Amino acid sequence: MSALANIAQEESKLEMTPMIDVTFLLLIFFMCTIKFKTLEGKLSAYLPKDVGSNTTEAEPKEKVEIQLKVLNAGTRLSPDETTLWDPATGDRFVFGSDRSIQYRVGPKKTTDLAVIEHQLGLLHAADPERGCTIDAQPGIVYGDVVGVLDAALANDFTDITFVAAR
Amino acid sequence: MNLSKHDPQTEMEMDMTPMIDVVFLLIIFFMIITDLTQKELEVLELPVAVQAVKDEPDPDVVRPILNIGWDGEIIVRAVPIYDTEEDDYRKLNAYLANQAKLMPLKMDDTLKKELPDNPILIRADQVTPFKHIQKIMELCGKPDIAIWKVEIAAAQPENK
Repeated sequence: MSALANIAQEESKLEMTPMIDVTFLLLIFFMCTIKFKTLEGKLSAYLPKDVGSNTTEAEPKEKVEIQLKVLNAGTRLSPDETTLWDPATGDRFVFGSDRSIQYRVGPKKTTDLAVIEHQLGLLHAADPERGCTIDAQPGIVYGDVVGVLDAALANDFTDITFVAAR
Repeated sequence: MNLSKHDPQTEMEMDMTPMIDVVFLLIIFFMIITDLTQKELEVLELPVAVQAVKDEPDPDVVRPILNIGWDGEIIVRAVPIYDTEEDDYRKLNAYLANQAKLMPLKMDDTLKKELPDNPILIRADQVTPFKHIQKIMELCGKPDIAIWKVEIAAAQPENK
């Protein structure tokens, strides 16, 4: 009788080690994958509100207009920037360093983003209430717009609007 | 005398149950979190912006996330909703109109009209032509959508 009881007790003992191993591995996996997206951020802006509605009211204050225009589209390189981009591969491309964009704020035209950032700083200091609009001409890519948006936000512009395509 | 002398046999026995409970809870937590955040965000090369603020999405807030690939393909919740070859914006239009209806409305003083008060998040590749994003913005301006807040996704600099 006592031998039988001993067997029953041994059987009920569960080997936990492999399960704990797997569990820890899963835990480490999920902890690692979650780390990847912490570097992502966002920039806030606005879209024109009155598109499609028949308001005749004029804008209360004229906004600073930042216009982006492509001077040189730049060579398209493969993502590792060593060879020319081949459309047949279906991979994305990057622009070579010869890409140049002209930024225009009021009468000031430049290809240097730092100059625009400085100019926006002066305009904001003159009238902190003034908003700005970003007008991207054809050929401009997302990265260029984010650069300008970044420059505007760096100068504490809060009312940033995008101009609709024409 | 017996109290000071520990029995080595009983000391080795450890109760694992609370630890396993905690570990399982952690796993479930991480599984839920990764599922929510990675379902809607495609892998894209985002441009870097110094001013980018950390995005802390609230799952209860309606915020459509549009991913635009380098070739202009728009992906929403891991499903392509617009293709440059097809060039058909009806699906995207319907999706945005539907999302706009779910957003809380706020009275706009200058337009004398109630507008959806939540933003959309636009995520695009560095080299995505901006005309695709302008097209989305144009759709947002339609009277049945009227979303006017937009968030532009950018990567934060590594050293920040």
